[in-house]
Amino acid sequence: MPATDYQGLSASISRSILSLRRDQIHSMEPTHEASGHDLELEAFQRQVADRFLDLSSVGSDDLLSLSWIRKLLDSFLCCQEEFRVILFNNRSQVYKAPLDRLINDFFERSVKALDLCNAIRDGIEQIREWKKLIEIVLCALDNRRILGEGQFRRAKKALIDLALSMLDERESTAALAHRNRSFGRQNAASSRDHRNFGHFRSLSWSVSRSWSAARQLQAIGNNLAAPKANEIVATNGIAVAVYTMNSILLFVMWALVAAIPCQDRGLQVHFSIPRQFSWAVPILSLHERVLEESRKRDRRNACGLLREIYQMDKCTKALAEMADSVQFPLTEEKEAEVRLRVQELGKVCEVIKEALDPLERQVRDVFHRIVHSRTEGLDSLGRVNHND
Amino acid sequence: MEDNGEEKLIAVARHIAKTLGHNESMADDILQIFSNFDGRFSREKLSEKMAGAAGDDLRACASLEQTLGSLERQISQYVVADHPIWADSADSSAFLDSIDELIATIRDWKPMATADKSISACIVRAEDFMQQAMFRLEDEFRLLMERGCESFELAPPYANGESTGNLLFDSDDDEEEAIVTNGEDHNQIPVAQPLTDYDIVIDALPSGTINDLHEIAKRMVAAGFGKDCSHVYSSCRRGFLEESMSRLGMQKLSIEVQKMSWHDLEDEIDKWIKAANVALRILFPSERRLCDRVFFGFSSAADLSFMEVCRGSTIQILNFADAVAIGSRSPERLFKILDLFETLRELMPDFEYNFSDQYCLVLRNDAVTIWKRLGEAIRGIFMELENLIRRDPAKAPVPRGGLHPITRYVMNYLRAACRSRETLEQVFEENVNVVPSKDSSSSSLSVQIAWVMELLESNLEMKSKIYGDSALCTVFMMNNGRYIIQKVKDSELGSLLGDDWIRKHTAKIKQLQMSYQRITWNKALGALKADNSSAVPNVAGKFLHMKDKIKFFNSYFEETYKIQSQWIIFDEQLRKEMRISLANLLLPAYGNFIKRFQNSPEVGKHADKHIKYTVEDIEARINDLFQGVSGSAGSRN
Repeated sequence: MPATDYQGLSASISRSILSLRRDQIHSMEPTHEASGHDLELEAFQRQVADRFLDLSSVGSDDLLSLSWIRKLLDSFLCCQEEFRVILFNNRSQVYKAPLDRLINDFFERSVKALDLCNAIRDGIEQIREWKKLIEIVLCALDNRRILGEGQFRRAKKALIDLALSMLDERESTAALAHRNRSFGRQNAASSRDHRNFGHFRSLSWSVSRSWSAARQLQAIGNNLAAPKANEIVATNGIAVAVYTMNSILLFVMWALVAAIPCQDRGLQVHFSIPRQFSWAVPILSLHERVLEESRKRDRRNACGLLREIYQMDKCTKALAEMADSVQFPLTEEKEAEVRLRVQELGKVCEVIKEALDPLERQVRDVFHRIVHSRTEGLDSLGRVNHND
Repeated sequence: MEDNGEEKLIAVARHIAKTLGHNESMADDILQIFSNFDGRFSREKLSEKMAGAAGDDLRACASLEQTLGSLERQISQYVVADHPIWADSADSSAFLDSIDELIATIRDWKPMATADKSISACIVRAEDFMQQAMFRLEDEFRLLMERGCESFELAPPYANGESTGNLLFDSDDDEEEAIVTNGEDHNQIPVAQPLTDYDIVIDALPSGTINDLHEIAKRMVAAGFGKDCSHVYSSCRRGFLEESMSRLGMQKLSIEVQKMSWHDLEDEIDKWIKAANVALRILFPSERRLCDRVFFGFSSAADLSFMEVCRGSTIQILNFADAVAIGSRSPERLFKILDLFETLRELMPDFEYNFSDQYCLVLRNDAVTIWKRLGEAIRGIFMELENLIRRDPAKAPVPRGGLHPITRYVMNYLRAACRSRETLEQVFEENVNVVPSKDSSSSSLSVQIAWVMELLESNLEMKSKIYGDSALCTVFMMNNGRYIIQKVKDSELGSLLGDDWIRKHTAKIKQLQMSYQRITWNKALGALKADNSSAVPNVAGKFLHMKDKIKFFNSYFEETYKIQSQWIIFDEQLRKEMRISLANLLLPAYGNFIKRFQNSPEVGKHADKHIKYTVEDIEARINDLFQGVSGSAGSRN
């Protein structure tokens, strides 16, 4: 995945802005000043549109995959950085009425996104936990092993733990009963297991029980409306950039919640972006596609629409079924089938293993950058008022 | 593969020798097998012979089957046992011995399984009951971890006199939560031990249990069930830690703590400080030790398990600090945030120590980032303080030129802040690369404080402008200036701002004093002055002049006295100085004038009629000035 280096990118933006400024010095006419400013804002719109066009060009097999999510976060970081540069370059007016209200509003929304970042981080940890269980399955049904009943029992136990962990909390009680039944069929030794269900617990979230990702998303999206013509004029066009960034923030957070498990996911956020914005179409199309994905029958109850979770779920369900129905000794055909699934699961596991750490770092990065840009903004807000 | 042939043979031989110990009747067969194998140590022959010597293999296989048969009998009796095996140490060691033997058997024979169907079948069978044995081991492992906790629960808390009531997990005042002895708590969480200092490591489980756990872990890792073992381990301990954190009063709070009232948040911060200390200094090191002991010899498993156990709680601790750092910058928050900052700073070595391995690197880095962010928050608070001072509007003038609330607020605030001088110096030093201070000899904090003082002074100046009376304006500035200097002098602020600053500001008060005298008394003094302006004395004019002068002085002094005796100068010293200086200025001039007046032939005998005040009267009245006599004096503390 060609990860865009947003730092390098922002540097190049600064350079281009600098060169713009240089041009202005050569021709000291105020009209050029205005056009430099306009160019900067236009460039931002174009870059945002380009990035989301690129993101929306993803094939259905890659939509919501780990690599796509990482690209999405990269895009967010780039946009955020460009936006920061715009605020910086226009700091004399940005932190005064009427823009200051819009900026404060943006900061408010981004603080709400911070909680989502933390929740998503929990979700990543959750996936890590699943990965661990998958590793037990892979270890049990290892290629080098002879597949016997013991191996299947071990794999099955891990698979049931996994299935249980992947279910929503409200469903887990029923799942416990299922787990009991499953083990009831097994030998006396395993029947003891159900005594320990009290100890089976999925990772708990670092947020309080009442916290809800869905509500948080709604809070970000509340009263988010495109700027009116008079607002655009009054703010020298910057209101458009602010609205753009707000929309990107909402969409990216929404997509993260869609993909990654977190407490009380919910995707009922209203996106109403006027289509005259060049980036509206790709974002709306992505929104539609993700919604479609969430409505698919086999994904409706998924704990996250992440492609890899889906693949993992598919593989593990197939393996669990085989483990339930398998007769010993294994027929060669059956064995080949199992080996194939294991191989598939191994591949998913490998992808997850490779991508989770960088993804977590990125989510942290998003968090830090939001905080940083807000701190910078608050500082400037204080300083500008000094000159009032 | 053929390179392993010799190893395989040796493995078989070793295994058979072992079997010999159990079954002497096998001796002959074994010798036979040995001699047969002996001849096959050449590699080319090996495969051919292995395939060809079916009879020998059959015999080898028979011995394997026999071994497995006896092992299966031994193991299955434990696998199906309906009581905890580790309740009886003889049982547990016999079980472990059988497992050891099974592990060795599989290890020795497995390499041969690819070439021989019957051996392969044996291995499948062996692995099958290995799995059963492992499941049982896992159960026993979990049970031991739970029981280990229970045994603490049943133990009465230490009741020695020295550590009275200082309970580790006693979050507030409800002790019943800390001492769970009545079995109400179904989560089987060990009771907290009394604690007086943080430099202790608790044994989370009894030593014997830890040894048992280690013995089990060793077998599970050897049998390739290491991940399963660590999974059980981490989920048990994680539950324990989570429970401990909540007993310490740590709530799961999100960034939205910002919405909490500051009062409530302060309580949360206090709990956090206690919980973070206990977690980093006692709980985590104890978990580390437990992990290292249970997974002794498997450092990677130990590190990974430790990280999995502590990660959630650590993130909970860090997220809270982060949320507070990101929150409001209201100046009132400074002191609690300083506490947070200092706590985290003191805990930095503990973060380093606890999370020194590769898996925990993220946690270590996060801790540093969030600690720095608290520093940023402190700088932000100072910025907010600056803004508040700057924007504080001049509303109604303080009556009688007294002390403005903002002066008192800012000075007491800074004084209190400077009790954490070292911390603040550290915080502002951090920022020094960004904004280099002009004066390299003074610390960034001094520059910062001097800047706040400057803002305060200019705000006060702005406020002084709303007094109609410019003399009152100087009194106002004197009062506030004097208060500032005094607060600076008797605190850390003095050494931060330096003697120069104090000298400069003392001089400024002197100047104000001079301007006060000029503004108020120059006119009166002018009237009292001997008039040598006219070269040609006009007799009639002089008489009138003298009479006018005393009339003017009398009414001016009376009026001024009436007004300024209501004004106030809080500082006794300053008040005294003002009066002395005024007396020195006024009394000689007035005395001389009176003499001149009385001696003036024009005034003659009627002189006393015009003299309203004696010099003593003037002095007495000067000593009444700046008392703030009228009504309730807004005296300062």
